[in-house]
Amino acid sequence: MSSLVKCPHCGLRPREEFTIRGEVATPRPSAGADEAVWFDHVYLRDNPRGEHREYWHHSGGCRRWLVLSRNTLTHETSEVVDASTLKLGGGA
Amino acid sequence: MRDYPLENRSAFSPSVAAGAAINLAPVTGGFVIHVLGDAKSDEAALKQVLAKIAPELGADVRKSAPNQWFWVGDADVSSERLTEIQAGLSNQFALADQTHGRVRMILSGPSSRTVLAKGTMVDLSADQYAIGQSAMTQIGHIGAMITRVEDDSFELIVLRSFAGSLWDELHHMMAEFR
Ligand SMILES: [Zn+2]
Repeated sequence: MSSLVKCPHCGLRPREEFTIRGEVATPRPSAGADEAVWFDHVYLRDNPRGEHREYWHHSGGCRRWLVLSRNTLTHETSEVVDASTLKLGGGA
Repeated sequence: MRDYPLENRSAFSPSVAAGAAINLAPVTGGFVIHVLGDAKSDEAALKQVLAKIAPELGADVRKSAPNQWFWVGDADVSSERLTEIQAGLSNQFALADQTHGRVRMILSGPSSRTVLAKGTMVDLSADQYAIGQSAMTQIGHIGAMITRVEDDSFELIVLRSFAGSLWDELHHMMAEFR
């Protein structure tokens, strides 16, 4: 199955136009948080079966950072939004 | 903005006679200017202000990203004229001259869509892709903006350092129609 992503700015584009930068992490710990908390935040990742939220960069198109939901089982993508909308209350 | 005089002369020469099934020609001269708008800017406002302050250059703008466009035209624009135009724009829009940085070429002929389909997945069918419509995308691995300029004619804008590579690649893609 070919991976097509519907960029909110450019429309349906092939996966080759995008750079994937991994899951949308939990909120950043406070600067003084325990080392274990920081270690978890920086290095430890879940490997979920099913829905997964990830950062994608549309490097071959509009060059915007996007957040998309991808099903790790079927590779189906849904709910692609510009990453800037997270600041407006989408919650990272 | 460039601070040296640019002799805008293409290194490429038209590859196939006009009227053939496929023709690739460089655009010589003219300008490419990157327009960066603020978060509230829109294309209608941009075209309106360009038509007002630079009517001799046309307002041929192609959207490249949210609030960003490429403004292109066939006239030559001096640095002085560009400074004037920037001064005439509100702070809403900033211009970055890309004439030295990007090359335009035209792929035309009845086979042009078939050729481009080998390199891009953007659907360029006549009923899907209107004249004047453009997309920032990739042809193979090279970033390029594709604009349908006429019925069977597409303008490609590519970074100058990749132009030779794209030119070669297009010739391979065109080979069966020559
Ligand atoms: Zn995009």
